[in-house]
Order: sequence, then structure tokens, then C-alpha cells
Amino acid sequence: MGHRLHVGRNVLDHQLLDRDGRRCGNVDELAIEGGPGERAEVVAILVGPGWWAQRAGLLGRLAGWIGGSGRTRIPWSEVEKVDSAVWLRRTAPEYGLGRIDDRLRPYVERIPGARR
Amino acid sequence: MSKLLNLALGILAAIGGFVDIGDLVFNTAAGATFGYQLMWVIPIGVVGIIVYSEMSGRVAAVSGKAVFDTVRERTGFSAGLGALLASEVVNLLTLAAEIGGIAIALQLLTDLSYRVLLLLAVVALAVVLWTLHLEWIERLFGYGGLCLLVFAVAAVKLSPDWVKVGAGFVPHISQNDPWLYLYFAIGLLGAAMTPYEVYFYSSGGIEDGWTTKEIGLNRANAIVGYALGGFLSLALMMVGASVFLKHGIEPEHLGTIPLGAQEPLGKIALLLGIVGILFAVGGAAIDTVFSGAYNLAQFFGWEWGRYRHPAGAPRFSVTWIVLLLCALAIVLTGVDPIMVTEYAVIFSAVALPLTYIPILLVANDPEYMGANRNGTLANVLGVVYLVVIMVVAVTAIPLLLITNVGQS
Repeated sequence: MGHRLHVGRNVLDHQLLDRDGRRCGNVDELAIEGGPGERAEVVAILVGPGWWAQRAGLLGRLAGWIGGSGRTRIPWSEVEKVDSAVWLRRTAPEYGLGRIDDRLRPYVERIPGARR
Repeated sequence: MSKLLNLALGILAAIGGFVDIGDLVFNTAAGATFGYQLMWVIPIGVVGIIVYSEMSGRVAAVSGKAVFDTVRERTGFSAGLGALLASEVVNLLTLAAEIGGIAIALQLLTDLSYRVLLLLAVVALAVVLWTLHLEWIERLFGYGGLCLLVFAVAAVKLSPDWVKVGAGFVPHISQNDPWLYLYFAIGLLGAAMTPYEVYFYSSGGIEDGWTTKEIGLNRANAIVGYALGGFLSLALMMVGASVFLKHGIEPEHLGTIPLGAQEPLGKIALLLGIVGILFAVGGAAIDTVFSGAYNLAQFFGWEWGRYRHPAGAPRFSVTWIVLLLCALAIVLTGVDPIMVTEYAVIFSAVALPLTYIPILLVANDPEYMGANRNGTLANVLGVVYLVVIMVVAVTAIPLLLITNVGQS
């Protein structure tokens, strides 16, 4: 990725897509490294309700309480490309993403017409 | 040919999406209370919904982003979550009101009790949503909603005083109970620019796989579809003025509205009116329940969409089922759906700025939008309507209190 990227605007809070284009979460937080005077560098994308609380105060804590404390950390090297969404190199389950959808699917499929 | 068909379908969907219980109630009641004096508000509301629907549809086509993608992206998690909560509350209230409206319309056709009809309405909606493709749902409710055209025929047949009708298009304030007049003006704007219309419209564009090729289609759909919706609103207001004002009837019950078509045209018109209301309100129920699920899924990044079967986006499917059940619980308490409608419309005015500002920002972003970013016209109108919406948002609740929810 040669071009310049404004991580605050082009990455944070954007849709995450896996290799197959499956929607698998949002960029909830970024891990940035680099001390004073050094070049700051994004080292990982952080996904999951566990990260909300620290960003959104009381409302975030409430949302986190409902959403659970799940936290997933995806190294920046796993990012394939960034367009209007952030694309990952592998499939969602390999990162532990999209688990709730995968867990719900068998139940939803039991209702007739779910695969119409 | 398929282009023309697409256009026709989109227009139908826009008409169906525009006229809902809020429009039915506010337009008819405004006509019954102030005659033709509030006609001028309708075009203002219609242009507003066209401007922001076109913008959100263009953003969807070019960047693949639906409304709540942009809300989260542009306002951040914290403020975005606030916007999400506000819009979910408004959506749920609107949904509850629409479900109540379906039951009221069905009551005119059957002898079953209101509560049984509420249950039937929710089951019918769930079955339709689960089994039909989105395009078929849009066609079904779009065509059905066209029965409302009977009100346009009725409006003309009632031979209104066209000079007075024309004078109604000149903006003015009524000397007679100005607070109530303003309450209706704000309500009419709120009903025309209900936020779910924009959520559903933009998400629908993504569901239909819109790309930059569909920008023209998007524009045509928004302009023609909502303009026809506005035309129906004008007809409803005129019928309200000609039938209900004359007889001193306040159409507080949704079931009274089709009588406005019956007076000049007879029994068949009554039936068409009821069927039109049933489909318009049913279609709006579908739009609102999906909007609620779309917004949540987009904000949190879940898989969403009806282009997949329900099992393709399980959390999304479960969400709309839960929303339907919540709305059912609200109306089963026996609360008057018309009352819920008025609150939903007025509170939606408060949630609107949070929805429209991010759309306006993204539509101007050259990085996403390139050559398709907002032109001067879209920006001037966008900013003007933002001001209109802010005024509406600030005055909505005080007016609701001053007029005791339009009862004064």
C-alpha cells in the first residue's frame, strides 16, 4: 500500500470485509505504536464490543454491556486493501470474526424458507 | 426495456415508501382543520425528501455506503451511537403505528377484534418478509398502494374552490389558532421527511447492486416517485378540506379517511381507499422494520441484506423479527396508533439532523464520490434543508407541548 492513508478518516469506524467480501464487523479501534518524537504507526485493527467502552464513555459501556466483551486484534499486515471499506486477506472465521452470525445460522436455517 | 421497468418499479417503491400512516393522518387532519391553508408545506417537504434521498442513493451507488455506514464514519462511535439510538426509537414507534394502522384498516373489512388483527398483521408481515424477494415485496406493496389514487379522483370530483386551493400554495401563517397551524406545518414536514425513507432508500440501492451506472435511475426514482407521493398528499389534504372540514368532522381515526373517497365516488371508492391505505401502511411497516435492522447492522458492521436469503444474514434476520415483536408489544398495550404516529413524526424531526449531516458530508467527499460528488444545486438545497430541519427539530417538541399534541 504505497499511497498515503488518513487512518482516522479512511480506516477507523469503517466496514471490515473478509477475502470473500463478507461483512464481518467494523474497525472499532486502532492500535498505534510510536513514542514521542517517533513516527506513529498503526500496528493492528481492533474489533469487538470490548473496545467500545473506552471510546464512548457511559453510552459505550452500556453498549458494551449489551454487546459483550469480545475483543479481536488483527495485525495491520492482514489488511489487503482499503477502499470505501477495509479488506482482509483471509476469511472471517480465521480471525474469529462473524461468530455470532455463524452461531445463529443453524437456528435460522431450521425455519422453512430460510434458504429460499 | 428493462431500464424502463426498473424506473417504473423504483417509482412505485418511492410512492409506497412516501405515503405512510403519518402522511395519511397529518395531511387529512390538516385539511380538516385548516382547509387548503397548509398546501404550501407539502412541496417543501417533498423537495426535502427528494434532495436527501437522491444524495443518499448517489452515495450508495458510488461508494457502496448506506446511511448508517456514513453516520458512524463521519460522527464517530460516540455521537453515532446517539444517532443510532434516536433513529431506532423513532423507527420502532413508527413501526408500531404502521402495524396499528394495518389492524385499523383490516377492521373496516372484517369483524375480528383489533388485537387479533394486530397479531394477524404481524404474522402476515413476517411471512411476506421471510419468503418473498425484496423486489417482489416492493412491487406488491407499490401496486397496492396505487389504489390511493382514488383520493386524487375524489379530490377533483368534490369540485373544490380552485382559487382557494391555489392560495393555499402561498406560504402564510393562519390568524386562527397559529400554534396549532404551526404544529401541523411541522408535522407535515416531519411526515414528508421521515428518516426511515432515506435509510430504506439508500440500503435498497445497495441491495439492488447500484453502481455509478444507476445514478440517473436514482435521480429519476427519487424525483418522480416522491413527487407522486406528494401529489397523493395534496389529494388527501384536499379531501380533508372538502369533506371533513365541511361536516366539522375531525378524522382522528384512520378508518374515517376512506370515507372521504366514498362521499363523492361511492362504495367502490371506499373499498379502493381502504385497500390503498392497507398497502401503503403495510409497505411502510416493511420499510421501517428493515430500516431498523439495516441501521443496527450497518453501524456495527454485521452482514445485512435481503438480497441474501434469511440464513445469509442471520443476525440481521433475527433483528427484524425482534423489532416486529417489540412493535407488536407496544400496540398490544392498547395505545392509540394515531397518537403514536404523532409522537413518532414529531420526534423524527429531532433525529433528522443526525442522519442528514453525515450524508451531506460524504456526498461532498471527492475521495469517495469523485466526479459524482454534490454539485452546487445539491449543496445549496442540502444546506437550506438542513436549516429547515434544524428549525423543525428545535420547534417540534415545544409545539407538541403547547398544542397538547395537536388537540388545542
